[in-house]
Amino acid sequence: MKPAPFGYERPRDLQAALAVLGEAKTSAKIIAGGQSLGPMLNLRLVEPQLIVDISGLAELKQVERRGDELVLGACVTHADIEDGRIPDVTRGAMQGVAGNIAYRAVRNRGTVGGSLSHADPAADWVSALSALGARLTLRSLSGARMVAMEDFIVGALESALRDGEIVETIHVPAMPASAHWGYAKSCRKTGEFAHAIGAILIDPSAATARVVIGAIDSAPVVITNAAELFGGRIAGDYKDRFDARVADVLLAKAGVSNAAHRHIHVNVLKRAVSEAAA
Amino acid sequence: MNMIALTVNQRAVQVSAEPRTNLADFVRDKLDLTGTHLGCEHGVCGACTVLLDGVPARSCITYAVACEGAEVTTIEGLDEDDVTTELRAAFTREHALQCGYCTPGMLVSARDLVLRLPQADERLIRVGLTGNLCRCTGYVGIVRAVQSVIEARRARNIAPEPDGGRKILGPVGSGRSVHHGADRAERMPPLGSEQTSPEAASSVASIPDFIPATVLTQHFSVAHPPEQVFAMFDDIAAVAACLPGASLTAPPKPERVEGAIRVRIGPIAATFQGAARVEQSPADMSGRIVGIGNDRRSRSSTQGEIRYRLVPIEQGTRVDLSIGYTLTGMLAQVGRPGLVRDLAARLIAEFAGNLDRRLSGSSPGDDTAAELNGMALVFSLLRARVARWVGRFSSKNDEAT
Ligand SMILES: Cc1cc2nc3c(=O)[nH]c(=O)nc-3n(C[C@H](O)[C@H](O)[C@H](O)COP(=O)(O)OP(=O)(O)OC[C@H]3O[C@@H](n4cnc5c(N)ncnc54)[C@H](O)[C@@H]3O)c2cc1C
Ligand code: FES
Ligand code: FES
Repeated sequence: MKPAPFGYERPRDLQAALAVLGEAKTSAKIIAGGQSLGPMLNLRLVEPQLIVDISGLAELKQVERRGDELVLGACVTHADIEDGRIPDVTRGAMQGVAGNIAYRAVRNRGTVGGSLSHADPAADWVSALSALGARLTLRSLSGARMVAMEDFIVGALESALRDGEIVETIHVPAMPASAHWGYAKSCRKTGEFAHAIGAILIDPSAATARVVIGAIDSAPVVITNAAELFGGRIAGDYKDRFDARVADVLLAKAGVSNAAHRHIHVNVLKRAVSEAAA
Repeated sequence: MNMIALTVNQRAVQVSAEPRTNLADFVRDKLDLTGTHLGCEHGVCGACTVLLDGVPARSCITYAVACEGAEVTTIEGLDEDDVTTELRAAFTREHALQCGYCTPGMLVSARDLVLRLPQADERLIRVGLTGNLCRCTGYVGIVRAVQSVIEARRARNIAPEPDGGRKILGPVGSGRSVHHGADRAERMPPLGSEQTSPEAASSVASIPDFIPATVLTQHFSVAHPPEQVFAMFDDIAAVAACLPGASLTAPPKPERVEGAIRVRIGPIAATFQGAARVEQSPADMSGRIVGIGNDRRSRSSTQGEIRYRLVPIEQGTRVDLSIGYTLTGMLAQVGRPGLVRDLAARLIAEFAGNLDRRLSGSSPGDDTAAELNGMALVFSLLRARVARWVGRFSSKNDEAT
């Protein structure tokens, strides 16, 4: 299908983009890679009056290492990360995630900022960046604010973005050498959105872990205090201590009422844990 | 119309097109380059894959206007290309095409794999081609063809290029546009208002019984005795006022309540208009609302049924809900019961809060008048029709649960 008519603006810089969004009395929608918005426009599920194209904004296509974190512009694409065109602070973790999103032709245009803003619970960055402990800078005409990933995704297709706000940068903490990473995604066909995602960043030497159960039908379950999942203690033998029952209870609490679905999610998480321990 | 300047198959072109024109329609309709095919038009099938700044991109979900200054190469532009020439021979030899519909996109993706893959690994080739659907060949010949070209080239010591030659950051096709004041595109006039038209509402003639395709159960509690809640449920206008996004379009009668409910789920907005019928059974403090409605924009219709039962609890009343619905049309393609359940839970929470406030004598929150913001799911308790859906696009369309 073809989209309903819309107006189009390509602001020259971020400030101009914010101004267009800020003044828009009409329904305006940002477009970055268009790989999520495009299908919705074509299916006429969204009919904005104005599209504001941010894909050309140089400010959003920069990457910088700042102290202990990598600051990624929102318009960096999945393929940029897959191909290693940006510095690697996660010891290959982000690269691995990027390469398994959709298809190459989609990854060449789809952006990290767009994926997070779209807030599809099944999207890979939604889970992966929550596990990596990323934060986002959201900017509007009235200034910038910083939001942690777990506060950014509010529900299915619902983010903390306010009217007139743009995701400007994504801040990814460098992964310590002692940390282990595991990421598992279950889908029936390669390149498809996940039916279940498990992600874990665990540092046995520091006894810390961030665990994410994603691709449930609402915001992912982010467990920052994860000792309970490993019999009360995070140590080198975490793989053997992984307690599937605790994960099952967490899923039930998050509203996943179907036992078969919980089973799939728990097993995908288990796979992520095994991958981390491998 | 916008004037769009870009390079297509190494030729500078400057053509005007509407902003909504995708790159595939642009090359097909404006430049007569009909080798680029359109299948699904939402990024899944790969038929429309072209090279944008030298690497593959979906031309169906890339708007031409966003490619100002970019280099586009369609299948026609690959006539003299080395890799594609080898691939064409291999496709012929291995019977890698039949009807040919997928072939232009398949060749573009195959070419990218030939350049990038270090060796002719069958699994990697199959994974690399998952974004290109072929309904004829069964893929075996295609995979073999790609394998043979990779093998031949690596045997000739042609090294792979893992990044496909791309060196800069950001969406391919973006970034070479010029920005000057005059570049501002015209703004489209606001779309027609979406106010509920009474005819549309009454165009739902009858409210039939039906067997729901999906049933969800939910419950909530309010701090008021069942009798009071039950009486409140009899007041259709009051209940409608507690439901975010709902409006009545005619004075309600239990046998026919006409109205509309506007919901927004992420970026998707829908207004379902229709009618419902309300039944109450005082004996066991239960009731039923059956409704039917349509969203004109997405051409989707829904039938819904809400059954409730009030159960006395220590702190007041527990309202047990069973929500059944059937959704057809565009939204059904993208709706998943699981997401709907999440939405239903949020909507019910908001409804319960408003109901509680109203039972306590205060008016519901201001948000009621506005559209339901947040992941809403629609279901109209006691009034208009029902619908619930939610969006997931692309490859998850076939998801049934
Ligand atoms: C066939 C197909 C398969 C896919 N499979 C997967 C998959 O397996 N896993 C996965 O994770 N994703 C998948 N995707 C989605 C893909 O990753 C998209 O690229 C991504 O979700 C959106 O990025 P975008 O830049 O294209 O955003 P757009 O489509 O341009 O925008 C998406 C939304 O975000 C808003 N937006 C964009 N950028 C910003 C910003 N900087 N600030 C504020 N708002 C913004 C837009 O207004 C819009 O609402 C798939 C897509 C397709 C077409
Ligand atoms: S038509 Fe573009 S991917 Fe199907
Ligand atoms: S040859 Fe017919 S679709 Fe592939």
